[in-house]
Amino acid sequence: MTTGFEWPRLLVVVGAGGVGKTTLAAALGLLSARGGTDTLVMTFDPSHRLKDALGVGAEAGVETRVELGDAVTGRLDASLLDARRTFDGLVDRYAPDPAARDRILGNRFYRHLAGSLAGILEYMAVERLLEVWRAGEHERIILDTPPTRQALDFLGAPRRMVSFLESGAIKVSTRRWFVDDGRLRGARALGPLGRRFESFLDDVVGLELLRDMGEFFQAFGPLYEGFRQRARQVEQLLVSRDTVFFLVSGAGEENVPDTLFFARKLEETGHHLGPVLVNRLHPRAGLAADREAAVRGDGAALLAWLAERDARGLEHLRTLLGPERPLYDLPLLPEAPSEIQSLARLAELLAERLRGV
Amino acid sequence: MPAVVKQRISRRPRPLATGLGEKGVLTQLAGRRLLVVTGKGGVGKSAVAATLGTLLARAGRRALVLEVDPRENVHQMLDVPPSGGDIVEAAERLFLQNLQPRQVVDQLVRDRVRIELIARRILASPLYHNFVEGAPVLEEAAILGHCLLLAEGRSRGAPPLDVVVLDAPATGHGVSLLSAPSLVSAAIAAGPLAELTGEVAELIGDTERSAVVVVTQAEEMPVTEALELRTELAARLDRSPELLVVNQLLPGGPPRPRAGESAAAKLWRRRRRLQDHEVGRLAAAWPGRRWELPLLPFDRGPELIEALAAAAAGQDA
Ligand SMILES: Nc1ncnc2c1ncn2[C@@H]1O[C@H](COP(=O)(O)OP(=O)(O)O)[C@@H](O)[C@H]1O
Ligand SMILES: [Mg+2]
Repeated sequence: MTTGFEWPRLLVVVGAGGVGKTTLAAALGLLSARGGTDTLVMTFDPSHRLKDALGVGAEAGVETRVELGDAVTGRLDASLLDARRTFDGLVDRYAPDPAARDRILGNRFYRHLAGSLAGILEYMAVERLLEVWRAGEHERIILDTPPTRQALDFLGAPRRMVSFLESGAIKVSTRRWFVDDGRLRGARALGPLGRRFESFLDDVVGLELLRDMGEFFQAFGPLYEGFRQRARQVEQLLVSRDTVFFLVSGAGEENVPDTLFFARKLEETGHHLGPVLVNRLHPRAGLAADREAAVRGDGAALLAWLAERDARGLEHLRTLLGPERPLYDLPLLPEAPSEIQSLARLAELLAERLRGV
Repeated sequence: MPAVVKQRISRRPRPLATGLGEKGVLTQLAGRRLLVVTGKGGVGKSAVAATLGTLLARAGRRALVLEVDPRENVHQMLDVPPSGGDIVEAAERLFLQNLQPRQVVDQLVRDRVRIELIARRILASPLYHNFVEGAPVLEEAAILGHCLLLAEGRSRGAPPLDVVVLDAPATGHGVSLLSAPSLVSAAIAAGPLAELTGEVAELIGDTERSAVVVVTQAEEMPVTEALELRTELAARLDRSPELLVVNQLLPGGPPRPRAGESAAAKLWRRRRRLQDHEVGRLAAAWPGRRWELPLLPFDRGPELIEALAAAAAGQDA
């Protein structure tokens, strides 16, 4: 498919939670494969029906071929990320020996709390990305990003995660606080601040948990360096020319500040921002908005009011982003696209937009 | 927490509700100390929390809506200036506070380490920063701990309250928030935080004192998540939500198809059919109370909350 849009080798779909990133990533994948390019779509939390459509329901972390029929020359694979499994897999792969691996996997802190570490899903997403990027089995990767509070969280997460793993707290807990048999060292050795800090941590998190953490990080020690290196490599990949960000936004004036903030932030941090897409815009209804009627229960009047509101938001965003930035919109469809046919229709709409660049 | 109570700007007297219906779920909720309003981001959690706070205050309860979100929204809905961490009086018996989860944990440090200089050094150290950033379960437990202290009048400088309505953070799963206290209290053997999280875990386990309100939209993903939340809540905390709010429904009864109808009429019918299907899915799997609230032609603001409160009161009757 020839479009005005220049497809990169890595397309990262970003935006706040709930705006439709996963569906759009799937539609983009379809479009890419139809253009003859072997494509992998990496998704998070697709809806059940979308999972079925992509065939990724059964096993997380494994790529599955999406059946597109003979007319399509490119191949489309899809995968679903499972943070826990990826983490276990990394430990398994990089632990120096089976005993070290078992110490980590069996650690209470790891089992109960490591899964809820901040940024773990994001970190695992980029780990997995790097893995498939290096495997080089696809000409193009489309990366959906995990739902975060703020769209930007995704970019910072790997670094936060690594800095947590490496943080002084850990060094303190492994080296200074605990002697080798896991007993607490005399607090005197820590100096006044250390003493305060230790008694604070002790109060707040308790010794048992600290000991579990100490053990975990000690066992994890040999893996730090690798984690740090890969986080750095993925950061480089994300700012490289190979990578373009595709920013998705919700409709309506209220979403404008967030979208604008994210667009600016991406550029400031040296990432390449491609198109901005406002999703689920209430379509022009062929009616004038009538708030009174809408309040009384006239759904058509309500939709007309929403269409005007969304159109105002879009115009506002266009002004703020400037004429250079490609800005598209997709309408709220009567039904959420969740099988290949309806995804294909969405992809068609998308293709029309992208061609118009 | 900060001791300041900002005065509301206008003191319009608000009418008292004529009394709550005998069997309404509001009557049931009015007797609890903590309402946790949870759901996927964007479904209207904050709007529902503001609506519940408004209704409870009008029914004579002293209510505080606690928003834990870096983006402040609820103040707009209640027509007051941003809280910025302070407790703001929004109407008679109705208060609002916005907090960053991090502030809650920081406060804990200040309470524990009473020497200001040392507390400041700890708060500024990267060691502490990484530790708190790295373990969101601590923040989640601290948020609920703060609710407990507020509801029981143990938070310095806060007004006396009957009920706290927590507009739960949009990240993570509602269940992870609700099970954080028991997780933390199981991990910590002794000390003030262990005590506090133990108390909070008890509060969450006590269906006489706390309630869970799940907000959703009639769309596939949010409905599926709401159902999962229900299942997990039963499995992990052995309780079921007191109220399900299906928000942002299009009006019922779209006209039958006819030649020359507007695109809007057609979209209305198709979207509403989809919503009916999702509401049906919920109804089949969700015993218990449910409110269906309309999608309204108002931007975020007091008009929206007024209209939602009227709709909710109507549903509850
Ligand atoms: N029933 C409703 N009708 C119209 N708009 C609504 C309704 N409920 C919520 N909204 C709007 O939807 C947006 C998201 O609602 P909000 O309560 O902030 O969501 P959450 O807190 O779940 O992220 C806000 O702009 C709010 O004004
Ligand atoms: Mg909110």
